[in-house]
Amino acid sequence: MKLMNFTRRRFAGLALGAAALLSGTSLSMAQNMPAPFDNAGDVEIALVRYLSTGDFFQAYLTGVQEQAKALGVELRVLDSRQDAALQADMVDQAIALGVDGIIVQHGLTESMTAAVQRAVDAGIKVVAFDVDVENEAVPQIEQSDRDLARLALEQAIADNGEEFEAAYVYVPGIAPLDRRDETWREFKEKYPGIEEAAQFGTLDNPIANSVANQASAVLRANPGVTVVFAPYDEFAKGVKIAVDEAGLSSDIKIYSADISTADIQAMREEPSAWVATAATNPELIGEVSVRALAMLLAGEDPGHNVVVPPTLVTRDMLMEKDINNMDELSQKLPQFATTDVAKPDWMPATGE
Amino acid sequence: MTLTVRDLSIRYGFFALLIGLALFFYAAEPAFMSVRSFVFVFQSVAITAILALGVTGTLVVGGFDLSIGSVAASSMMAASYAMVIWGWGTVETVMLCVAFGLFVGFINGLIIVYGRVPDLLATLGTMFLLLGLQLVPTAGRSIAKGMILPDGSTATGSFDPSFLMLGRSRLFDIVPVSVVVMLALAVAIFVFLEFTRWGRVMYAIGSNEQASRLAGAPVNRYKIAAYMISGGFAAIGGILLAARVGRGDVSSGNNLLLDGVAAALIGFAVLGAAKPNAFGTLVGALFVGMLLQGLTMMNAPYYTQDAVKGAVLVLALLFTFAMTRRAGS
Amino acid sequence: MQTGQAAPANNRVLEIAGLEKSFGPNRVLKGVDLSVSAGEVLVLMGANGAGKSTLVKIIAGVQPPGDGRLTLDGAPFEPDRPIDALNAGLSVVHQQINDSVAPDLSVTQNLLLDRLCSGKAGSFYSPRRARREAAEIQAILGLSLPLDRAVRDIPLADRQLVAICRALAENPKVLVLDEPTSSLSQREAERLFGIVETLRSRGVAILYITHRMSDIRRLADRIVTLRDGRITGEFRPPLDYEAAVTAMLGETVRPAAMERGEAHATVFSVENYQLKSWSRPFSMALQAGEVTAITGLVGTGKSEFAEAIFGVRRPAAGEMRLNGQPYAPKTSGAAIEAGVFMAAKDRGTNSLIPAFDIARNLSLPFLTRRSRAGFIDSGAERHRAKRTIADLSIVCQSETDHMATLSGGNQQKVVVGRWLSEPSTLLILDEPFQGVDIRARHDIGRRLRETAADRATLILVTEIDEAVEVADRILVMSDHTIVGDHRTGPELDLSLLLAQVAGDQTAENMPKVQESAVG
Repeated sequence: MKLMNFTRRRFAGLALGAAALLSGTSLSMAQNMPAPFDNAGDVEIALVRYLSTGDFFQAYLTGVQEQAKALGVELRVLDSRQDAALQADMVDQAIALGVDGIIVQHGLTESMTAAVQRAVDAGIKVVAFDVDVENEAVPQIEQSDRDLARLALEQAIADNGEEFEAAYVYVPGIAPLDRRDETWREFKEKYPGIEEAAQFGTLDNPIANSVANQASAVLRANPGVTVVFAPYDEFAKGVKIAVDEAGLSSDIKIYSADISTADIQAMREEPSAWVATAATNPELIGEVSVRALAMLLAGEDPGHNVVVPPTLVTRDMLMEKDINNMDELSQKLPQFATTDVAKPDWMPATGE
Repeated sequence: MTLTVRDLSIRYGFFALLIGLALFFYAAEPAFMSVRSFVFVFQSVAITAILALGVTGTLVVGGFDLSIGSVAASSMMAASYAMVIWGWGTVETVMLCVAFGLFVGFINGLIIVYGRVPDLLATLGTMFLLLGLQLVPTAGRSIAKGMILPDGSTATGSFDPSFLMLGRSRLFDIVPVSVVVMLALAVAIFVFLEFTRWGRVMYAIGSNEQASRLAGAPVNRYKIAAYMISGGFAAIGGILLAARVGRGDVSSGNNLLLDGVAAALIGFAVLGAAKPNAFGTLVGALFVGMLLQGLTMMNAPYYTQDAVKGAVLVLALLFTFAMTRRAGS
Repeated sequence: MQTGQAAPANNRVLEIAGLEKSFGPNRVLKGVDLSVSAGEVLVLMGANGAGKSTLVKIIAGVQPPGDGRLTLDGAPFEPDRPIDALNAGLSVVHQQINDSVAPDLSVTQNLLLDRLCSGKAGSFYSPRRARREAAEIQAILGLSLPLDRAVRDIPLADRQLVAICRALAENPKVLVLDEPTSSLSQREAERLFGIVETLRSRGVAILYITHRMSDIRRLADRIVTLRDGRITGEFRPPLDYEAAVTAMLGETVRPAAMERGEAHATVFSVENYQLKSWSRPFSMALQAGEVTAITGLVGTGKSEFAEAIFGVRRPAAGEMRLNGQPYAPKTSGAAIEAGVFMAAKDRGTNSLIPAFDIARNLSLPFLTRRSRAGFIDSGAERHRAKRTIADLSIVCQSETDHMATLSGGNQQKVVVGRWLSEPSTLLILDEPFQGVDIRARHDIGRRLRETAADRATLILVTEIDEAVEVADRILVMSDHTIVGDHRTGPELDLSLLLAQVAGDQTAENMPKVQESAVG
């Protein structure tokens, strides 16, 4: 199964014969699956999205699609494009369409709680990713933001010791960033030697460019800074631009969260101050979301909090294993590509 | 001609404010007053200023261009696409992007002049169109070296080092190339608007289109040209953005639009011009850049920055409209 | 008619005492005393720049007074906003008609504009009720305007009537008319005079601002002259018009003894020319050295003809020749290139660039000739501007003055000066004396004649007086065709000309026009 996983994209371009073979495989699998997946073609699930633009969300969608395909279920994607009211309406639409299960991807607690309750009342199984819908019947899929921050900061301490001057990039009011911020504050308490010399951040588009402008000013105002904690890859990218422009690539280390092909390229640059990032594979989160929903539909309990564990990716790893993009990352760091979370024996792996 | 206090304050009030602010930041944060610091202010506003200089061209003919932000964003995507996916070189890529910007401006001009669609609405339409179109080639993904394409293959191209130089290298080890580009474009558009007959006719059109037409000016051609200027400038801004960031980021460019327009409007107040002008636009952009730089150095929270930008804009517009209007009548 | 009609002086409705107003160092009104009584037409005469407009703006509540006291019906009158003046019983019809009407609204909505804006109409707009009220308002003046049409679609003269009707909708005690006939034909003006007389007989106090002698002769009960911000004379019946003009201008102006030009070769001609598909074809020719005026009522096609010659409009049929060559300019730029210049009417809309100073306004059409490799030679530009300012006696501080600082007459001089600053083959001036005082008119007329020798000059005027004063030859236009051709001088048959203007005489004069076209 792992082998299949490694090579699935290699085969993706193959002709129809291979496709027929693969569908034959999943057909034979279907007989071993619990109801309703013994007749998976009749199962329909909906993905109701709040956020969709950007690499992370694109990859998440890919994961959902792959897992849905592996299960053989119908997938319907409803995209509200950051319109909270529309997203709630879309849940009602999905109810009206008579889907069996719904994945709610991001959104606002205030607008989603009632809509999700209506779906649950209608007998529809629901899972939610990165949005708290305050419902006992709805498993929460999470990439653990606290773990992300912890992994990155532990690496920072391993690299720099327990005493250093740090700059911190943060914009309050964004849920995942707020959770990462909690971990940062815990670390500062635990290690009094960490001095936060400056805090900055902006979400002005393009974010990397705007953060670079801020970081340049901060680095000049605080020449003693050796570590920058930028727990969002766009922030890290911006800080890296500023560090490069200031010619400080060897004096400053950047620790971040999240990863993309572009980030890998930036970390691999020679020299690069961006030494480590902690990331959860968004594609994996997509797969886990579908798997948790499938378990619910099969009458199994995935647990209320389904946490997808993050992986630490350092610049050294990327260089040693010659990793150039997300695909190679999945291939060469297996812990990044697969997880046993929400994975009963009958669950088909993607790509099969 | 004697200058009254009001005349003086209209003319030099904005400069006085600029100097006062610089001194304030210096007192609060000595690192603010250094050559590098000033170079940095220029660098941080270079892209915004280039967009602002372009939109000044449309403001001069009495128009407006809301599409500059998305033209810049699309140009950044186009540059990244050409290099990473087609493997083009620097020169072809730059030419492609500038041609793209000119083309969008040309279309804007046609819609406004011959379609008789009001400028704000026409360019708003173009803005949305580009926001969507720029995502089509990559199905919404950002473009970076080694990216996986929608068809499953891996992109083979990469950013040409000479292209990245545009965003990253420095002249004489101090002045970034983007600043040089900005200054060159600023001088060019300033000379064009102030000293050539074409610029003069553009101002005439902006002030009284009908009278300019009856004075023999080919008004339609001039207006289309003005939108091509703003489109071309925005595309150059997008090129520099791609070169600085080193990848094609999916972004709306709305902040670029807003900052650019703000700079151009603040420019109205510089030297009491009370009209769109290239010098004022540049000073306006630098003013905003200096303000943000100082605030960041002083660890001001990020949300103060937009508020401060807004306050400066309102102040500048008050300078322009309340004071000069009264003095003029 | 005016004798004996003068109202008793104790019945003063509007009183102004010691009114002062300055703009910066510039004292515009220097202590004006003025009063208007019920049932009286008080004519206020003043040359351009005398302070009339400022006075009107203060009375109307558009600008605050600097100093002085205003009383309306015995009560202190201090309007902060135009609506205050209106509520107090004072209505103003501004000279710029477009200041008094909203072009995109219908006639009905315009008539009710003050009511709609003041909130008296309630929150909801009922088209039916509005139409009824509008019909009532226009009945005051016995008019029948097209109530449902947008104001921009009706002729200028009708717009003027809409503005006046609107001013009367609130039953004002005082009506201020600022040069109301400046864009009306004689027939339309006659209708206006009738209305003013009706209002006078109803006891409305009327402040009538003008410098047109025909209006003054017809209406004035009393004349007050304003010069340089001061009242320089008050004239009661029997009215001494010549003395009033002298008081207004500060000196006796004699009609300029103009030397008539001598006609040379034909410069411009049209053959079987039709402005509209339905209008009768005509032919005519213009000679170098000659000043030709086309006169006719507003809306008879004068401006259309000028615009067709200048390339901004296409005729329905016929061809034009310039210096014997076929001439069909597609744009104004092409016309200018060919040596055909036009100073359009309505300078504010069609000629002046408000953001530019005098020098730049003058040079606008000729920038190609004023620049090298695209760069403007601003030294030469200013030098030429200084010469034009001297030639036309433009009153200003310097060539860098902005348009807004100039009076209407001087603005018009800039427009004319612009097109005189380069030699032309054919110069067209559409209503060059619109809203211009007598002295500016003389300055412009004198300069036109001085420079007329090497070109054909075509002037379009509604006022026959102006045509007679400045032209060697007068063509009459009616119904988009030329119906009369006269030489000025002792032999001018004024009564025939007037008949042609009025549209009573056409056929018998036509052959003469055709002949002159050949010459």
